Amino acid sequence: MRRSRVLPGLLGLLLLACMPAAHAAGSAVLSVYGAGTLAVPFRQLDALFERQHPDVTVQPEFGGSVMMARRITDLHHRADILGVADYHVIPKYLFADAGRPAYADWYAGFAGNAITFAYTDKSKYASEVTPQNWYRLLAKPGVAIGRSNPDTDPSGYQTLQMLSLAAKAYSDPDLATAILANAPPGNMRDTETSLISALQLGQIDYLAIYRSDAIQHGLDYIQLPAAVDLSDPGDAKLYAAGIAHTKNGDLAGKPIVYAVTIPTNAPQPALAAQYVALLLSPAGQRIMAQNGFRSIAPAIGVNQAKMPPDIRDAVKPWPAW
Amino acid sequence: MNRPVLAVEDVSLGLGAFSLRNVSLALAPGEVLTLLGPNGAGKSVTLETIAGFHRPRAGRIVIGGRDVTSLAPERRRVGLMVQNYGLFPHLTVAANVAFGFVACGRARRPDGADVARLLTRFGIDHLAARLPRDLSPGEKQRTALARALARQPEIFLFDEPFSALDARTRDTLREELRAFLREAAVPAIFVTHDQADATVLADQVAIMDRGRIVQAGPVAEVFRAPANSFVADFTGVENRLPGRVVSRAGGRWQIAIGDRLLQADAPSLAAGTADVFLCIRGEDVALRSPGEPASDLSTGNRLTMRVERVIGLGALCRVVLDGGFPLIACLTRRAARDLGLVPGGHAVVEIEPESIHLLAG
Amino acid sequence: MRSADLLADASVASGPSRPRWPAAMARPSGVMLVSWFLGSVLLAFIVVPLLGLAISQSGASLVHVAALPEVRNAILLSFASALLATSVAALIGVPLAYALAHATFPGRGIVAAIVDIPLAVPHTVAGIALLFAFGRRGIFGAPAEAWLGLRFWGTVAGIVIAMLFVSVPYTVSAARIGFESVDPRLEKVARTLGMGAWRVLWHVTLPLAWRSIATGLILTCARAISEFGAVVILVYYPMTAPVKIYELFLRFGLNEAAAMATLLLALSLILLILFRWLAQGQGRASGYGR
Repeated sequence: MRRSRVLPGLLGLLLLACMPAAHAAGSAVLSVYGAGTLAVPFRQLDALFERQHPDVTVQPEFGGSVMMARRITDLHHRADILGVADYHVIPKYLFADAGRPAYADWYAGFAGNAITFAYTDKSKYASEVTPQNWYRLLAKPGVAIGRSNPDTDPSGYQTLQMLSLAAKAYSDPDLATAILANAPPGNMRDTETSLISALQLGQIDYLAIYRSDAIQHGLDYIQLPAAVDLSDPGDAKLYAAGIAHTKNGDLAGKPIVYAVTIPTNAPQPALAAQYVALLLSPAGQRIMAQNGFRSIAPAIGVNQAKMPPDIRDAVKPWPAW
Repeated sequence: MNRPVLAVEDVSLGLGAFSLRNVSLALAPGEVLTLLGPNGAGKSVTLETIAGFHRPRAGRIVIGGRDVTSLAPERRRVGLMVQNYGLFPHLTVAANVAFGFVACGRARRPDGADVARLLTRFGIDHLAARLPRDLSPGEKQRTALARALARQPEIFLFDEPFSALDARTRDTLREELRAFLREAAVPAIFVTHDQADATVLADQVAIMDRGRIVQAGPVAEVFRAPANSFVADFTGVENRLPGRVVSRAGGRWQIAIGDRLLQADAPSLAAGTADVFLCIRGEDVALRSPGEPASDLSTGNRLTMRVERVIGLGALCRVVLDGGFPLIACLTRRAARDLGLVPGGHAVVEIEPESIHLLAG
Repeated sequence: MRSADLLADASVASGPSRPRWPAAMARPSGVMLVSWFLGSVLLAFIVVPLLGLAISQSGASLVHVAALPEVRNAILLSFASALLATSVAALIGVPLAYALAHATFPGRGIVAAIVDIPLAVPHTVAGIALLFAFGRRGIFGAPAEAWLGLRFWGTVAGIVIAMLFVSVPYTVSAARIGFESVDPRLEKVARTLGMGAWRVLWHVTLPLAWRSIATGLILTCARAISEFGAVVILVYYPMTAPVKIYELFLRFGLNEAAAMATLLLALSLILLILFRWLAQGQGRASGYGR
């Protein structure tokens, strides 16, 4: 009878579906959570790590930095590694706080990035835009600019800080207002990477985005001066003058520093430490640089005492800004 | 004959793989015509063409002296009755009848006097607030007739209204319908594949096959003298026997079937015909006991045949005989019992020459 | 459950009256027992997670969330856009269903399959495809902006087309079943009674197909309210309820998001029950003289 064959088949499928997704028997799984911008370098790093540890399968997941942090704190996911686009996310969301246990107690800054505007050859004024005249062209009527939500996404408020710095650098107090007029809420998303398709389809002309993303997606981008693009930790004092007004209050500019931590409830803390060590090593830093990030070597850390030993040795203390 | 209420003149049309070819019909005031034929013969298509749902490729349709060939169905004044009567299931009996008025813009309300008059006439005023699903088949038929009458049709078109009914209900409703058609004197075309509908309801019959009308005329005439073996088969002629012409004197023919000779009256058969089919209806075969004297049938056919089987069919029964050729006789169960017919016994068969219809082989 | 309802509606609309079996209800057969058992598993599968979400909310957090203007605006926007999308679905989906139910033409199956495609397309892909066609350089978007001043990027119009795209198949398939269940002989009889094709559609076909159509429209509306993936590609601001829930999750965490989700769930339930009730009333009222 047909039924007698179909039913066990269905049950078998059901069992398969319930089984953990680990591949080879006895292999360890390393769960890596990363900011969306880290997807490309982290996947390259994962491949390198798996070559060095053949018995380990790395399972990366990417999303907004805050989203990934909230998955650990609110949805109680257990990740081995968390890499965020703004180091500030880690103390804010994972460190012990009133009524909240510590989900992490240290972090290490391992890469820098720049906030910039990406565009395509179809964008308005694409052939005219230069690092000198961009703020005038982007303020012209009819230009559509996309950006991410400053209330929920670091690149959203970093864009506002960058514009605030540019207003000072170019001595044009109306610069931010004029450019933001071309970036109304309708051009906003929860993360800027979901606007890349809109940029490529010509719905928007310019997209505020990290330089690394522009490079990885093969987009043209404006080479902004280091004084405004938040890329240089050495300019930290200067960046503090760039202010973003958000629903979470006014946020002062800081250099864009990607930070990594191992959550306190990581299932594989030892393997995780090896992964972070690889990330901080010259090999890891090379991968970051190839993908448009600014290498930070040696890495800078907070609460070094809490770090696993082999990481602690590769990290110098976080500079005072 | 009066001027016809309906004239279908040489209508042809194509409908996918199916086509109607040169269909002509005429209907006098008050007359009922049945369109008889097997499934797929084109009866319903003919009816729907008269109603206006198909545009003929050639030919003309005249209703009440008006050429309606290119008119939409709603402008033709025909009353269409379909299987299960097509009452609107979301409307009450009164609203269904009122629909007939509303649709043609004459009256508006289900509680109006016009509606009430029709409900009373058909004895369904007590059902006014019911929904069709709560009606018996008879009540449905009366509601549908009332609704169609509201439209004041010039002609009724019935498309196998009884086909989903059991035999007893069908007999009752057919009787009721016959009374209505007589009384209302509205001409009607009745599509069916049941010959009982034709014999009970109709004055005229037209037999259809594969998109053509193969024979038309008064019911009794078509049933007695089918024009070909298809009609003979379809009108239920039990005996169709191949025979050879032996001699002919005036309208009286001598036919040989095997080694037996039969006399048949066929004044219209062409003179030179050699091979024929004999069509004999079962009810025209009279049976007598072998001992019984001959009836006063002076020039008739009288043969002794062996009884093969007696098949009971309710009130009637069918006797299968053999006497060199097979023959079926239909008689009442009572008559069969009185004759003491048993398989293996013998019976005398009498057939009047005018009851034998000859078809050219 | 839905399709069983549709079938039941269809048989009431066209067939002879259905027998009822009170006796079978009194002494359920093995088939019924198994059906109810498996059915209860399904009901639990649907109800338990949603109920769990709802009862985990304190009244205070619900009140707090309900008091936020941004939350109320998002829910209102979702409902208004879903109603608009449903109206458009009725306007263009019901005629297609009628054509599919009545016409026999080669490729009818292909047309029916095309209408179902949105159900199989990942919603992000649907959003990108819509952006492709309705963006300011799109084949529809460019002329709409030039001639009508209508934009789909970051506007209510964009929300509506995203909702429409993913939810209109429900209207078409349900309405098609409804139209197919109407006995064509009834329409013919109505024609011969003196009604033109349009009046027959209005007085006979639509009332008889109405319950199926209404079911389809309600499903469409429900699906439209819940749509996130396709909407967020085209429109983030103004925020619909699902987008707002996601944003609350990012800004405040699970509690606020779950509270708003509970609120949306409750309001949607009320709205859908109200529609169902209205649709039934409409079905009754369409008979004359009742």
